Amino acid sequence: MKRYVGLVVAALVAWSGGVYAQTVNDSASAKPRTVLTIWGVSVGPDDKGLDDVVREFERRNPDIKVRMAKMGAGEMNPQKLMTAIVGNVAPDIVRQDRFTLSDWASRNAFVDLNPFIARDRDTDPLTPTPEQYYDSVWQEASFAGGLYGIPIAADNRVLYWNHVLFERKANELRAAGLDPTRPPRTWSETLAYSKVLTELRPDGSLKRAGFIPNWGNSWLYLYSFQNNGRFMTPDRRTCVMTEKENEEALQFMVDGYKILGGMENAEKFQAGFRGGENHPFANGQVAMVITGDWEIASFARYSPNARFKTAPAPVPDDRFFKRGRFANEKDTFITWAGGFAFSIPRGARHKEEAWRFIKWISSKESRLLQASSQAKLDRSRGRRFIPRVDAHIATNEAYLELYAKGASQYEEALRTHIGMMPFAQVRPQTFAAQVLWDEHVRAIEQASRGKATPADALKEAQTRVQNVLNQELEKEKYPVVDLRGPVAVAVGATLLGLIGWVAWMLKNGTGRVNSSETRAGYLFISPWIIGFTVFTLGPMVASVLFAFMQYDVLNEARYVGLRNFQDIFQKDGQILLKAFWNVAYLATLGIPLGLVTGLAIALLLNTNVKGIAFYRTAFYLPSITPAVATVFLWMWILNPDPVRGLFNSVWAVTLSQWFAINPPGWFTVEAWSKPTLIFMGLWGAGGGMILWLAGLKGISSTLYEAASIDGASPVKQFFGITLPQLSPLIFFNVVMGCIGVLQTFDSVYIMTGGNNRGPNDSLAMPVTHLFDNGFRYFRMGYASAFAWVIFAIILIITFIQFKVAPRWVHYEVDKK
Amino acid sequence: MDASVLFLIGTLALWVGGYQVLRGSFLALRAFLIEPDFARQAVLNKSALAAGSGAGLMLLSLIIPKDLGRKVEATQWIPLVWIYTPIAGWMILISAFMVVAKLIQWRTALTPSEATEKLKQIGVWAVIGFLGFVWLQHMKWEIQILRGALPFNPTGLIAFVALALATVWLMVMADRFVRSRGAATKLATHAVLLVGCFIFGVPFAWMLSTSFKEERDIANADGLVWVPKVQFTHPFDDPERPYVEAIYDGRPVRALVDSDLGDGRLLLDIERPFALRGRRFEAREQDTKKLLRDQFVWETELNGKPVVAFTVRDQEDGSRLLRVLNEVPLTGAVQAEAGQEFTRKPEEVEPHRRTGLRWENYTDAMEWMPLEANYGLRYLQNTLTLVIMSVIGTVISCALVAYGFSRLRFPGRNQLFSVMLATMMLPGAVTMLPSFLIFRQLGWIDTLLPLWVPAFFAGAFNVFLLRQFFSTIPMELEEAARIDGCSYWRTFWQVMLPQVKPALAAISIWTFMGAWNNFMGPLIYISSPENMPLAYALQLFSGDRGGDAQLMMAFATMTVMPVVLLFFFAQRYFIEGVQLSGLGGR
Repeated sequence: MKRYVGLVVAALVAWSGGVYAQTVNDSASAKPRTVLTIWGVSVGPDDKGLDDVVREFERRNPDIKVRMAKMGAGEMNPQKLMTAIVGNVAPDIVRQDRFTLSDWASRNAFVDLNPFIARDRDTDPLTPTPEQYYDSVWQEASFAGGLYGIPIAADNRVLYWNHVLFERKANELRAAGLDPTRPPRTWSETLAYSKVLTELRPDGSLKRAGFIPNWGNSWLYLYSFQNNGRFMTPDRRTCVMTEKENEEALQFMVDGYKILGGMENAEKFQAGFRGGENHPFANGQVAMVITGDWEIASFARYSPNARFKTAPAPVPDDRFFKRGRFANEKDTFITWAGGFAFSIPRGARHKEEAWRFIKWISSKESRLLQASSQAKLDRSRGRRFIPRVDAHIATNEAYLELYAKGASQYEEALRTHIGMMPFAQVRPQTFAAQVLWDEHVRAIEQASRGKATPADALKEAQTRVQNVLNQELEKEKYPVVDLRGPVAVAVGATLLGLIGWVAWMLKNGTGRVNSSETRAGYLFISPWIIGFTVFTLGPMVASVLFAFMQYDVLNEARYVGLRNFQDIFQKDGQILLKAFWNVAYLATLGIPLGLVTGLAIALLLNTNVKGIAFYRTAFYLPSITPAVATVFLWMWILNPDPVRGLFNSVWAVTLSQWFAINPPGWFTVEAWSKPTLIFMGLWGAGGGMILWLAGLKGISSTLYEAASIDGASPVKQFFGITLPQLSPLIFFNVVMGCIGVLQTFDSVYIMTGGNNRGPNDSLAMPVTHLFDNGFRYFRMGYASAFAWVIFAIILIITFIQFKVAPRWVHYEVDKK
Repeated sequence: MDASVLFLIGTLALWVGGYQVLRGSFLALRAFLIEPDFARQAVLNKSALAAGSGAGLMLLSLIIPKDLGRKVEATQWIPLVWIYTPIAGWMILISAFMVVAKLIQWRTALTPSEATEKLKQIGVWAVIGFLGFVWLQHMKWEIQILRGALPFNPTGLIAFVALALATVWLMVMADRFVRSRGAATKLATHAVLLVGCFIFGVPFAWMLSTSFKEERDIANADGLVWVPKVQFTHPFDDPERPYVEAIYDGRPVRALVDSDLGDGRLLLDIERPFALRGRRFEAREQDTKKLLRDQFVWETELNGKPVVAFTVRDQEDGSRLLRVLNEVPLTGAVQAEAGQEFTRKPEEVEPHRRTGLRWENYTDAMEWMPLEANYGLRYLQNTLTLVIMSVIGTVISCALVAYGFSRLRFPGRNQLFSVMLATMMLPGAVTMLPSFLIFRQLGWIDTLLPLWVPAFFAGAFNVFLLRQFFSTIPMELEEAARIDGCSYWRTFWQVMLPQVKPALAAISIWTFMGAWNNFMGPLIYISSPENMPLAYALQLFSGDRGGDAQLMMAFATMTVMPVVLLFFFAQRYFIEGVQLSGLGGR
């Protein structure tokens, strides 16, 4: 056996070495080309266009080889990019959601592209210049005089309405004084149409929704922009979400939800939405939706049965009729645009090459090449090709000419979208863009669920955004700290302390100090001493220092006193309460359930049944399954869609039919996300079983014999003997379990796809909060302070547990 | 009588009767297997009583109108489930059971006469069973699981509760009547354990099943698919679109010839590996090698007759050009229309499939991985590097430190040891950020170093465990070695270390698991595909191909398998490891 292990290890090492050697050879034989790393894009089997554009670039620039990586689920994962930039291993180009650019720019994380443009605009016709782009889109990529990305696409929102449904409901619509041949143009019309088109079942659940205010892609931004609302003052120093324009817009959304029986009712309805042919808009479950141009191609490909017309999204009544404060308004209809940009991160190793690539990929020539080669592929697969709206004006004009001349509903939709581009507004450029977005989403949820009035919800959001703004704006107030000083002092002090302590020990130690043994002893424990100093003590000291600073690694540190702690307890109190509540939920339900499951299995196995080895293996295997694989496996089993998820498919043919209870949405809904985690944990409860089994075997059988002679029933024996005897083990498990739950991270990160919060913050955990602040925003100071808070809580909980323990934990005193 | 009353009585009778028959059977088994001769008759009597009354009750259940359960219509119902089968079904069940029981008795008979007696009885029961079989055959196997229901209103609720209570009460009464001692408990234990194993095993089974399925079976509205099926393929060379093997950027690829550029140059359109799919490049014709392409086989109809045909090529308008196969795969049936070509839209054809495993999901998943990952081998290699280095580091450093703390006396030992114990309380969160900055200063970001180097500096928990172990070794052993002139190092290496091997094995295993599963570390430190270990790569893979459950599950299986294999080979150490670490805190 031993020999085999050795052989296997040797073979593995040899193989590892072999692969290394091979890689080295590969790179040695290749031509010396600059490798340009691009993050945030990848080529799938359906994207021919992008690939052809990249190949064309490589053909024109034979010295460059492009390497693309998606890095992270969905869009560019901010944590990964930030860590790479801070860690000096940044990619050369990133494709970044445009509205976050100002955030990155304010941290000094991206390179200003204006100098490149100024240098090349007269010599290179491919150079992007402001005149070629829609003004608002260009503005979105700018921050404080710099340009931090070249816009690549622009999605905007228009109203899709199901005209067939309108016709079918013509009588009812006419009865309500509405014209069934045209879509609503104003907010009050929208509500009126929605009221007629919405159908409720007798039990109050939705059968059809006329219009769901925040389904599709409108958010509060669209309605606010339509109402001439703004989120920030022009000087970007103040968040003004509470202005009445925004409040009215939010009120409109709330009213829209009221027609549907409240947001909860709408969400229940939305939970049953499917994709493809059964797309809720395509099959008439929703009559009107405001969404972006990406839906055109999706409808054409997956929901060919969808019948729709498009129109600009309805606007406030006053705006439409040019009354009141809109009396002098020029534009009737308004939309908002988002999209992406290509940027160069600070620390990119090949900035010139990156700029060459950006110039090429944003040019009209490359856009049209991409479209034509994508169109060719799509058509060969029997699909309709619809280009995505671009940020480049001339490109859009060419698209209209080439791809949107026909009369089909898809082409008409593209025309509507492109036609609205000049009237598109963008989200405000602020370094708090991400927070602003997150908080505005939270405000929508709070108000639409009726948990707060629109005014209060906006006020709360505004406060939090303003906090972040202030933090940055007030930065100047705090003194810059040169970190080298404290670090030198800390290291020096630690070393001096150690030396002094050793000296003192040698001098005043016990009388019989054997010097050779002492030397050997220190040598033996030296790995720990070094490790302790470098990886524990040093970081601890640093962490204490950081807790009083504002430091994001890229910029200088500033001393802020106790402000980090104030932020934790005062400003983020709500989120923290939620996070610790989540932990408490998991602990109070998950730990006992896990204990009971493990113990139950162990009790069954302890009855001398045959085949214990088999059972033990079967119950134990799940607990050694790698956590990442476990989470993905369970996410697949608990997939909410009953035609995919194993669990819900069984549920749909049993519980649904018998009791008419719909299968839950598991990790996708607030109420079930934590139970999902507990469920996953229970699957691994077999790990504890081994421990219980050992504990049970350790209980002396004389105790049971004595008890049976006294006539104690098995139940009495269990509570009178087994449990007290196991109590030290239970105690150990509870303590370790609590510490473990407080540090939950991997499963939440994976389950939420890296957003770390879960539906309505239901999966927010202390460590995920810390991770986000530490590695996503690099608020080193705040995160360090927060780490100490977690530590303190662990200490307090453990202390309480040890205090309470003597009341229920039974130790065999004479045993030890 | 009212149908619902009949329904209630019938359900009750079936439940209790079924229970009694089962109990009677257990009793009979027990009487023959366990009870001594003198007690056998009494138990047998009880058994007969239980089984007889049970069978009678079950017969009573036949009064239930057969399809009542499916006719009821209302919104809310309390479900009641029972099995409906004519007497023939019960005849087969009971006789089968009796045959087995008699067989056992026959084998364990004490006297030859008893044995012949039993053989006769087996014959009788077999005949009864056969008759039941014929009868059931005649009735076309009319066994049904019927779903009945009670209306969900106060009356219905009360009826249901009464029914449940009555059942429990009757069962308890019956239990008192015929009390069993050991066998039933054991059987029940096994039953519960098996159900538990099933529940714990289903996720694995589902993972494996999914990883072998075709994409079209991933979602199914008519109930999920457990048994994977694969579509037949037919190797074919389309002269209009030749399929070739070529070298692209130093890698072998398979590609379709897009067009002939003249002077022996071809424009190739890469098909596989998937990571390169869609890329086009020029190659000289002499550098390419022609291949047959595995084309899918479909069922469709031609001139009103069903035929089996394979794809010749996908056409520009989205339709498929098909050609009828000479023979139907597997059955070998010759087709009259062989060789005919015709066009069908994708929705007009059905895949021709057989039950089987789609192993290609595994290779597909590997092909989808980024090129830098070298079909995922690079991930495996990184994980192995991580695991091997961590285990080596942990074992060496912890053993050294634990030995130092447990067996050597030096000033400050106890204080240092308490400091070490105190660090066990410190959550990783506190040191996470500064550690990142330290590794950044060292230039170790995006390398594996930050993930395994700390292992060489002795973790507190492992040291603590090992120290407990060292402490149990008698001092005499060490002193003897010392007297023989061993240095501290040699005493440690040759005398003490072999004594703690089990603990070292346990620690190695935990370190192995920890390193294999490490997710947060790579998440923070690694950003290039060529440096990623498996666990993190799986998470990133889900971003790219998360929608393809079969690929996800194939990748997950590949991540899980090595650990499971290790567990099977080193199960003992795993279990000892748990006990050590858990009981160590005692």
